[in-house]
Amino acid sequence: MSMPADQHYDAATANAAMLSSTRPATWRWYLLALLLGAVVACGLYAFSYQVMTGMVVTGKNRPVMWGFYITNFVFWVGLSHSGTMVSAILRLSQANWRRPILRGAEAMTVFSIMIGGLFPLIHLGRNWTFYYMIPYPSQYGLWPNFRSPLLWDMMAITTYIIGSSLFLYLGLLPDLAVARDRAGGWRRLFLSVLAMGWRGTAQQWQTFGRASTLMACLIIPVAVSVHSIVAWDFAVTLVPGWHSTIFPPYFVIGAITSGVAAVITLMIIIRKAFHLEAFLQPLHFDNLAKLLLVVTMLWSYFYFAEVFTTWYGHQPIEWEVFRFMSDKYRLLLLIMLFGNTVVPISCLLWRRVRRSIPALLVITLLINVAMFIERFLIIVPSLSHKNMPFMWGSYTPSLVESTVMAAAFSGFALLYMLFAKFFPIVAITDVREETEALRGTAVRGRARLTTLVDEE
Amino acid sequence: MSRQARFYQWGMVIDLDRCTGCGACVVACQAENNVALVEKQRFAEGRDMHWLRIERYWEGEFPHVRARFLPMLCQHCGDAPCEPVCPVYASYHNDEGLNGQVYNRCVGTRYCGNNCPYAVRVFNFLNPDWPQPLPDQLNPDVTVRSRGVMEKCTFCIQRIRRGKETAKSEKRLVRDGEIQPACAQTCPPGAIVFGNLADPDSHVSRLARSPRRFRLFEDLGTDPSVIYLKGGGHEHAG
Amino acid sequence: MELLGVFASVEQAAAAVDRLVQAGYDQATITSVTSVPYPPGVFVHTQRRSWLHWVTAGGALLGAGAGFALAAGTAWLYPVQTGDKPIVALFPTGIIAYEFMMLCALLGTMIGMFLEMGLPEFKRRAYDPEIANGLIGIAVTFADETQRHDAEQALYSAGALRIRTDEAPA
Repeated sequence: MSMPADQHYDAATANAAMLSSTRPATWRWYLLALLLGAVVACGLYAFSYQVMTGMVVTGKNRPVMWGFYITNFVFWVGLSHSGTMVSAILRLSQANWRRPILRGAEAMTVFSIMIGGLFPLIHLGRNWTFYYMIPYPSQYGLWPNFRSPLLWDMMAITTYIIGSSLFLYLGLLPDLAVARDRAGGWRRLFLSVLAMGWRGTAQQWQTFGRASTLMACLIIPVAVSVHSIVAWDFAVTLVPGWHSTIFPPYFVIGAITSGVAAVITLMIIIRKAFHLEAFLQPLHFDNLAKLLLVVTMLWSYFYFAEVFTTWYGHQPIEWEVFRFMSDKYRLLLLIMLFGNTVVPISCLLWRRVRRSIPALLVITLLINVAMFIERFLIIVPSLSHKNMPFMWGSYTPSLVESTVMAAAFSGFALLYMLFAKFFPIVAITDVREETEALRGTAVRGRARLTTLVDEE
Repeated sequence: MSRQARFYQWGMVIDLDRCTGCGACVVACQAENNVALVEKQRFAEGRDMHWLRIERYWEGEFPHVRARFLPMLCQHCGDAPCEPVCPVYASYHNDEGLNGQVYNRCVGTRYCGNNCPYAVRVFNFLNPDWPQPLPDQLNPDVTVRSRGVMEKCTFCIQRIRRGKETAKSEKRLVRDGEIQPACAQTCPPGAIVFGNLADPDSHVSRLARSPRRFRLFEDLGTDPSVIYLKGGGHEHAG
Repeated sequence: MELLGVFASVEQAAAAVDRLVQAGYDQATITSVTSVPYPPGVFVHTQRRSWLHWVTAGGALLGAGAGFALAAGTAWLYPVQTGDKPIVALFPTGIIAYEFMMLCALLGTMIGMFLEMGLPEFKRRAYDPEIANGLIGIAVTFADETQRHDAEQALYSAGALRIRTDEAPA
């Protein structure tokens, strides 16, 4: 599948093709890294300015005490949901088309959860006292309040950062050995340390397989819990529009929607940047797009269920929040519904669209714009029109907040670029396993058929 | 929380029939509690620091229009939504029914501010700044808060502390009316009454049994310690 | 001591295993060294029972206990009343215990995996970097020089490109 049938298959060529991202950097790579680094520096400057001046440099006010930072937090945590989770689900369901996608998706999770985890800290009024929230025995004898959803958040995100990093490393292990054997100089030393002396004995592979399955089983419930807890940050409060039992599953589906869309976007970029056309074929995009179609349908269902009950129940304050949102943010609301429901569902039904790379790029980017808006529309309108009509307000993000957000996107891209430069961005051994170890031919009647060994 | 027998359960009654909306309580509160001055522009942005505000609502159509005033301050809820969401116990409940706020513990997540249905919690978006000679009038009994922390009405806890200390030194309980927060002390028509709800004979307890009593957002189950007496009685009468 | 024959094709490598078995080697002393996982039985069967999942389960149990102790214990050590919530509240404690359980189960799985694999490996082992490029290694453990001779014979006759050992190069 990964090589045209008429061409003679050669493992060394396949290795070289999949490791193309680790070739010495070109001037274009440096230029891009410099550019992204510059944006990150701007973000750091903006953040320092905020630390030195106070939260007055943001658009926040009373009653809208949370704004772009928390929107970003939910957005990035959401993005992190597909990588590891989709890779784990596909591993467990033994979908063979998962193979070229695994690594890119898992790396995406690790970097986006790292970025996401920064936002609650950026958002603090006194960032320098963030350690008050860490449970450590201090001389005050006081511990953090585990009844606060923010502590659940911290625990869940810590677990997810560690868990998804371990999951990424686990999948990398045999690939690190391959990269090690093909590298020279300091890279060889670096990769040797990380590969820990992996040889690929039958015993090691067997244990590796068992551990992969176990980790996949464990990481899925963690991912579900992480976004459920993020949803509970809102759902456990008394804020109208937030206090809703549907939030955890709705958030999890939203997270998977934006995550799958981001995986597709990234795959398109990786495919182009590292010339991986032979590995990332229309089939892979077709399958991912089918998954995306299903989750956007689910998202639409959840959204409908949420708005519908509010509309029918017509509790004054609940309805006021919705009325305010659809009035003041009508354009955003329309973009959200268009990008999350109308466009993906109507377009992804067609095989031709699912196999068209440019179409998918547009659709997946649109979905993530829509998902960002969705988070914004959950957070801001509810806070703007809370129970007390005298204290109604609104919110516009400031330049500082937007700069920090731009830095987050650049930082993510930069981390991803660096990762691809030093590590195999395609799951080499997973891809080669299919071609070399699982694939065979069988004669049935007059035909020679390609067969695939079923994994146990 | 089990309602244990205790000596003090601080509460307040605000009679809306007496309130004229003059705003003296707002000024008194600001002076007593070192509430930061906020520029006009910042005020317009929603960065005002009032612990106590007079909410003004208009009722009716011109020319039969009436202003309604609702003094709004921390309701010191029995089941306060702001308290459990704080990750660092900066917002907590004390055993006299007060909703405490520890400024130097606060990290500024502003979660409490979001979860307060009364929107009475204010956040220090900026470091407070008093032009000369105003720093000389700061109340030495009250901490000046720095930027990045939440604050709100404390029922003038410094006055409660002092009152209790005086009573203790004289080996007695606090007498009714002995402790008065700045707003109650200042209120010209005497609309604000503060006292001990645990004492059934206190002024505040007697007023709290009025048939005109109501509490804000009772349906949210927050169990506020501030009891309002319904206004506009004379209109219904005549 | 270990010998590693390097083969170009799956069939040759499989034949080498057969010959080693014929030469009297126990299956347990023979293993394959490959850069992709082959289904069990293509070269050798690994008989060792796995205890990895017990480490995972142990981690989970430990984590759940630690999470419970952290959330409930610290609240109890310094009780602070917040709202109407009990000092040791059921749902939050459950959430923290769950997160710790999952964290420790994940860590346990990784630690168990490395222990079971015998990694990290500090000793010099018989290996050939070309295995990364698709060559297949058949490794066999020998006891003395006669056994070594037999094994080399068997590997070469099956078509080994070269034989590596775990001895330091002279």
